[in-house]
This record gives sequence, C-alpha cells and structure tokens, in this order.
Amino acid sequence: MKRRDLLVTIIIPVISILLSFVIGAIIIAALGASPLDALRYLWKGAFGNVRNLGTTFSRATPLIFTTLCACFAYRCGVFNLGGEGQFIIGAIAACYIATKSPLTGFPAILLCAAAGALGGGLWAGAAGLLKVYRGQNEMIITIMLNYVATLFMGVVFTNWLRDGSVPQTVAVPEETQLASFLGLRATVAFPVAVIVGILIYYFLFWTSSGFQFRAVGLNMTAAKVNGFNVRRYILMSFIVSGAIAGLGGALELLGTQLRLINGFASGYGFDGVAMALIASLHPLAGILVAIFFAALRVGSTTMQTATGVPTSVSDIIQALVIVFTVAGMAMVRLPGFRNKFLQKAGKEA
Amino acid sequence: MGSFIANLILASVRMASPLIFLSLAELYSQRAGLVNIGIEGIAAIGSLTGFLVSLVTGSPLLGVLAGALAGILVNMIFAYATITLCAEQIVYGMAINIFAPALAAFIYRVYFGSGSALVQADLMITLKSALGIKSNHFLVNLFLDQTPMVYFAFILVVLTAVYFSRTKSGLNYKAVGEYPKAAATLGINVIGIRYLACVICGALAGIGGAYLTTCYSRTYVDGNVAGRGFIALAAVIFGRWSPAGVLIACLFFGFCDALQIRLQLVNNTLPYQFFQMIPYAATILVLALIGAKKAGPKACGQPYRKEEH
Repeated sequence: MKRRDLLVTIIIPVISILLSFVIGAIIIAALGASPLDALRYLWKGAFGNVRNLGTTFSRATPLIFTTLCACFAYRCGVFNLGGEGQFIIGAIAACYIATKSPLTGFPAILLCAAAGALGGGLWAGAAGLLKVYRGQNEMIITIMLNYVATLFMGVVFTNWLRDGSVPQTVAVPEETQLASFLGLRATVAFPVAVIVGILIYYFLFWTSSGFQFRAVGLNMTAAKVNGFNVRRYILMSFIVSGAIAGLGGALELLGTQLRLINGFASGYGFDGVAMALIASLHPLAGILVAIFFAALRVGSTTMQTATGVPTSVSDIIQALVIVFTVAGMAMVRLPGFRNKFLQKAGKEA
Repeated sequence: MGSFIANLILASVRMASPLIFLSLAELYSQRAGLVNIGIEGIAAIGSLTGFLVSLVTGSPLLGVLAGALAGILVNMIFAYATITLCAEQIVYGMAINIFAPALAAFIYRVYFGSGSALVQADLMITLKSALGIKSNHFLVNLFLDQTPMVYFAFILVVLTAVYFSRTKSGLNYKAVGEYPKAAATLGINVIGIRYLACVICGALAGIGGAYLTTCYSRTYVDGNVAGRGFIALAAVIFGRWSPAGVLIACLFFGFCDALQIRLQLVNNTLPYQFFQMIPYAATILVLALIGAKKAGPKACGQPYRKEEH
C-alpha cells in the first residue's frame, strides 16, 4: 500500500509534466516554430553548459525557500499563502542591515540572515496569531499581508533607502555579498537552501517533535484529544515557515539581486505553493521540483532568443503541470478509480 | 472639502462594482458548497478577454460578454477537478490562480508581440453621456453618471437575494451547499447544481475582471485584478453569506479603494504606497474584528461522492 502511494506521488507529476510539455509543444507549433528546436534550446539554456547550470541553480534558490516554506506549513495543517510577503520582509530586514549597519563581511551576512528569518517569522506569526486567537481564515490574511509587504517594500525602495533618482535601493556593499558557489553563477545560498531542505526533512520525518507537527497537520481533532497544545503547534508552524521564506529573501538579496527593486520576489510565494503541492509536500522532492521550474524559466530565455517563442510559453507549461498534478492526484484517490485499478491488477495476476 | 467627499462617494460606487461581481461569484459558488479561491485568476482572464474583444470589436459590451464566457471556460476546469474528481477545492483554486493569469499574460504577449506600446480600448459610456445630460449635480452624477455595469451589479444583488430567499429553486440550490446528501435524497441533482454554480461563478468572476478593462481602466496590465478576488472572499465572509451583507461589505471595501486613490491625490508628504495598503489592511482588520463565528454553508469545501450513500 505504502509503496503504491509512493509510486503514485512520483508517477502523477511525471505524467503531468509530459502532458504539459505535449500541450506546450502544440502551442509552440501553433506559433509557427518547431517544437523540437524550442525544446532543444530550452534544455540548452537551462543545463547546456556550466554557466547556464549556475544560472538555473541561482534562479532555483529563492524558489526552494518558498517551496520549503509551503511544505513545512502544509505538513502542519497551516495553509500559509504568504510566502511572498514573508520573503520580502526578510529581504527588507537584510537590506537595512547590509546597507545601514557598520558591519560588513561574514558577521554582516550572518546578522542579515538572522534578521531575515526573524522578520519573515514575525510577519507570518502575525497571521498565525489572527488564525489562532481570532479563528481567522489564514489564506486571506496571508495573501493580504503579501500585498502590504510588497507595498511596504515600495516605500523602502522609492523613499527610505532610495538610490538617488532611480527607484531602487542602494546595492549591498561588495564585502557583504555572498560568495560564488564552486565558481558557478550561483552563490552559496544554493547549498544553504538544499541544507535547509534536508534539515526540514530530517526534522519532520525523523524527530519526535516533527512527528507531532505532522500529527497536528493530519488530524487536528485527534491531536487535540490526545492532549496536544494545537494552538502552539499552529503558531509555531506559521513562524517557522515564515522564517524559512524570510531567510530566503535575505539570501536572495545578498546573493543575487543585491537591491530591492520593483518586482523583487513577484510570484515566488504562489510558485512555492505550487511546487510544494507537485512534490506532495515532501521537502526533498520540493527541491527537485524547484530546480525543474527554475530550469524552465532560465531555458525559456534562450528559447526565446533562438526561436522567437515567447518565454510565457514556459509559464503556461509550469501552470499546466500544477493543474494536471493536483487533478491527477485527486483522480487516483477516487473510489471508482481504485476499484478499476485493483480489478485490472487482479485479472492480470 | 465638499467635492472631496462627493468624489469619494462617486468613486466608492465605481470601485465597489467589480467587487460585487466577484463576491457574488464566490457567493454562488459557496452556496453550492464549493469554495473557489481561484476567482482572482478567473478575473484576470476575464479582464484580458474583455479588453481584447472590446478593442477588436469596439464594443465594451461584447467585451464583457466575452469576459464572462472566458471565465466560464476556465472555471469548468475547476468544476471538473473539484466536482467530478473530488480534488481539494482550496488547492485547486490555487492551481487556477497560477494557471489563469499565466494564460492571460501569454495571450497578451502573443497578440501584441514583444513591443510594449500601450494599446487602449474604449470605455463603456455612462448613462449620463448617453442621454446627453449636462448637469454636474452630485445626485445626477451618483445615479446617472455610471456605466450600465454598475446598475447591473446592484440589480444582480437584488435578484440574488430574491432567488435565494423567495424561490423554491433557490432553496434547493442552498440545500446543496448545506446538506448535499439530504438534498440528493429529495431528488435534487447535486452534481448538476454544483456545475451550474461553477458556470454562474465563472461568468460573474469573468465579468468582474472585464469590468476593470471596460469600465475602469483603458488597458490590460498583468496583475490588474490586484487581489480583488481575494478581497471578495473576505467580503463573502464579512457579509455572512447573504447578498445584502455582501453588498455592504463590497461598498465598504470599494470605499477603502476609493479613499486610497483620493488620499493619494491630495497628499504628497507620505509615500503613496501607504495609501495603497488601505484596502488590504482594512480587509485584515475587518476579518480580525468579526472573529470566527462560522456561518457559511455547512458542506463548503467538502467533496460530494455519489458512492458514499
């Protein structure tokens, strides 16, 4: 039974990805380009050489953080849709420390990362308090907080930390920027993201407090009956998931973007939700899915220059993957489907 | 000051209208037991379709109709996944929220190429200019200087209220959202009504989106729905799932939206983003204040499986 479930959680996304690529290919053909060429350039652009591979890892890094944020929250039964806002608040906190504090270099980086995690955690914690003490719908609250955070970031880069006449913040000083990872275009933020993912996996699946978090997520009532302080777990999962996103925001600022600017983090929160769902909320699978999505994005730029197919085709493919995966996972859970499947298996045996 | 308040009230009504369409979309969906958080995305596709059709045909009205149609089409994906496949509604709504705006952005890019020249379509004319009235009195502006869509929104609230409380069909509809199994034993077609709910929801959400490009702004920009779909979700909760309550909630949120625009125009000391936060902050505040007296349809969010009789 367990093995079959595992199989389903791998097979469904793979079929969904193939199906999405088929539809993508049809769209590309309809636009008058050769789907095979487009796919080849997509691959080349994402993984074709060391430089492009580095770019893919670099693009994947923030997505891994928001994916892990969503994985952790949903495993604990909290539908945190505010990854984007928490990511942004983390980046703002890091931006202040990097540009305003006298610290530079490694101590500054550590402080920025800590402040980013703290900022993101508090931002999510605010939504958690409303959920726990006012019984409020966390989805709407966290989404509204995304808009507030985005606008607040606007205040920061158009007013408070503005760089002269350009609507962006001053750049993070060179000594505080993250080092490159193995000489690639990605920074050390990438291995940090992977390590955070492994730690979350270890915590959730191999420690007893991780098990308690998952128990609350699986059945809140049962957890309550068994004497769990459910409120505390819910609040904690808001804070931890927010801290993951906030850390991601801080590292994205120090490693890749270096400035807060219009469009910083745009869409990362919902993307993280989608990737977490495709990965069946498994942190390690989430890392792979995030790298896959990043590859689609990076590769689509090369595809656009080489074949003229717009990059938004890759957005459609990504969106279709989630549309198909979620529907597919529901389909195999239908009683009718299961019966048919078992009957067939029985006949063959 | 007098004109400030007058303009504020006029703008409130205009800004409430798209919210009314979106909130009613959500209301029809939830009354049948389907929580659809994808209306933000459906509004995006409605907005783009409305803009393109209005641009090509020169008729904003056709644009709105096309927006409704596009909304229905996209919402049929949600319908099939959540009603037939019993996918989790919240999760699938998120999928729609990712898919529909991506589709809208793609169609826009393909249609206009990579050139970013700002193309503008005509806006729907107001009753006042259609009748050729010149007066600029406040009441004339309030009641006559509105596009047909504004009247349609308010009429729809009344029709919905009558339908849900005064007709047998409306009561059957609500039963599907409260006790689907009991409704089925009374011979009500639960699956059929849920699909119907998705048609209505898709159409209204599409219209709400199309309003933004046919009655409010002359062009489509990615992200122009700006969270209105999510605010509509809050409006349904705030309005306690009743059409009248939803109307009041929408007028309040419309007022917040109007207030932020007006304040931006008169103030130039505070960064304008602080004003833009008002509708979102107000939504959080309202939800925090009303607390969690759960009054929604009881079967909301739960799949209905025929086999489980």
